[in-house]
Amino acid sequence: MSMQSNTARAAVGAVLVAAAVILFIALSGGDGGGDATTAQDTTTAKGSAGNGGSKPAEPVIVVKNGKPVGGIADLTYNQGDRVRFRVDSDVSDEVHVHGYDIMKDVEAGGSVSFDFKATIEGIFEAELENRKEQIIQLTVNP
Amino acid sequence: MILLPLAHALVARQDLPVPAWLFAWGASIVLIASFFALSVGWRRPRFEEDGWRPLGAGVSRTLLGVPAQIVCGLLGIVLLGVGIYAGLHGTEAPDRNFALTFFYVTAWLGFPLFSVFLGDVFKPFNPWRAVGRCAGAAFHALAGQPATRLPYPRRLGRWPAAVGLVAVVWLEIIYGSSGGVAVGLSPHAAAVAAIFYSVYTLAMMALFGTEEWCRNGEVFSVYFGMFSQLGAFEARDDRLGVRRPLTAATKWAAVPGSVAVVIASIGTTSFDGAQEGALKIPLLDTFNWLADRGMNLTWALRGADTIFLIVCIAGIALVYLLGVQGMRTVRGAPPVATLRTGFAHTLIPIALAYLVAHYFSLFVFQEQAQFTYLLSDPLGTTTTDLFGTASGGVDYTVVSANAIWYVQVGALVIGHVVGLTLAHDRAVAYWRDYRQASRSQYWMLAVMVAFTCFGLYLLSSGNG
Repeated sequence: MSMQSNTARAAVGAVLVAAAVILFIALSGGDGGGDATTAQDTTTAKGSAGNGGSKPAEPVIVVKNGKPVGGIADLTYNQGDRVRFRVDSDVSDEVHVHGYDIMKDVEAGGSVSFDFKATIEGIFEAELENRKEQIIQLTVNP
Repeated sequence: MILLPLAHALVARQDLPVPAWLFAWGASIVLIASFFALSVGWRRPRFEEDGWRPLGAGVSRTLLGVPAQIVCGLLGIVLLGVGIYAGLHGTEAPDRNFALTFFYVTAWLGFPLFSVFLGDVFKPFNPWRAVGRCAGAAFHALAGQPATRLPYPRRLGRWPAAVGLVAVVWLEIIYGSSGGVAVGLSPHAAAVAAIFYSVYTLAMMALFGTEEWCRNGEVFSVYFGMFSQLGAFEARDDRLGVRRPLTAATKWAAVPGSVAVVIASIGTTSFDGAQEGALKIPLLDTFNWLADRGMNLTWALRGADTIFLIVCIAGIALVYLLGVQGMRTVRGAPPVATLRTGFAHTLIPIALAYLVAHYFSLFVFQEQAQFTYLLSDPLGTTTTDLFGTASGGVDYTVVSANAIWYVQVGALVIGHVVGLTLAHDRAVAYWRDYRQASRSQYWMLAVMVAFTCFGLYLLSSGNG
């Protein structure tokens, strides 16, 4: 009988601790974990720096003074999707999509388009290789 | 505005955050397992006796004999040498240089894993121990008597190893900054650090004796040795034997400073897991605050990271010590100092679980590089091809994101259950009265649930 009340009390304790932890997560997730929520909420491709307008299927990342306008662009896809985006750059550099290891040169004032299949799951950076400047965070969900 | 970029010197791929549904399942299983553990509790300690028995003499002669010791020791020295040489003279591209991957992935993450399954495998390969023993033997032969050593201060115990452990991680993930940008540790800096550490270690071995320093202060011996306590294989007096798994851990923490070692392990892993997820914003704020006060950007970034590394370690220590204080209130409890060291070993499985959860994918992917281009072209010259594997690469599809998630959550759940098991066993050894023993375990249960849920939270909030 005392065994049972002990176990019951322990269970209550454990539930309380868990509830506290989950509450903490829920509260801190609201302002802190911005990355995680955007990654989960957006399942289709979107370019946060997309100001091309005419073709929404191809997000455009604009690079000004060697930096992405509007910050690092979040592109999110599901495994097997077709990844398409364009980089308009005012500096000459090489755009490198890490993990997929796709590299393309871009001229100053020129643009370069990418079109490949999202075969590898994970989070990847695309950067201006010579400047070591990240311009895209590419997320591929399973 | 300066953003903290992602410090991924080695791998081109990061893990996806564990999705909410898996987080919920993981946390639920942890709670159910905990509840179950309390209801099935055994009343006599089962892990205090190790039941070690020797394996066949032939096995011991082959694996532990002098020829094997020489081969292993030499291999350790050569690999350390190659790492240092590559760091000093190879490419500065961290991912193309043998040094960083070998030191920080193959050895630093590989030995804990292998130690659990194979016993204290670092001991024969330890390059400093090999040098120290040779120097000791040479001195003995020349002087006709063994070298006189300083007695090692008992109270110092494993504290030097705990501090060294934090320093090793600090160097890996915090030192490598440049102008407010986390660029990762450079191969050159890693090699210089390895030289410094070698000099320091050999000096300490000369002062206190090789084996004495390996038992207490040598960071890698102590750290890898800690994980070997969980496993079944152990060599005693040149005899290889098998013991009951987990039993050796119950004796491990008797040396002062052991609590600090295991807490430092969990704390540093937590920081690394949190720095790009949970701690990203506070880190950025602290960095900006320091930079606004005129600190140069490199040191502002290191400063902010260091503060939060210490916060993480202190936080883990605080939760554990609260649990200890809680157990102290249960009638018939031994003194606080006994409880503090007495339950430290129950955190070793948690430390291992954190390691697996945070570095499993890094290890799987980067070891492909280690055994292809880094092996054939250790300096990253792109013209060398020693073993014909220089053109190899990393296949990021060998494990799916789902598989990684299950390994991560599975490791935390298993670590939690093993930790609870050890804690319960220690409690029934300390408290004669079973009811008091199980009452004391509400506290350890709370500690374990906190650590496991925190680990799950780190995984779900974007793991670096």
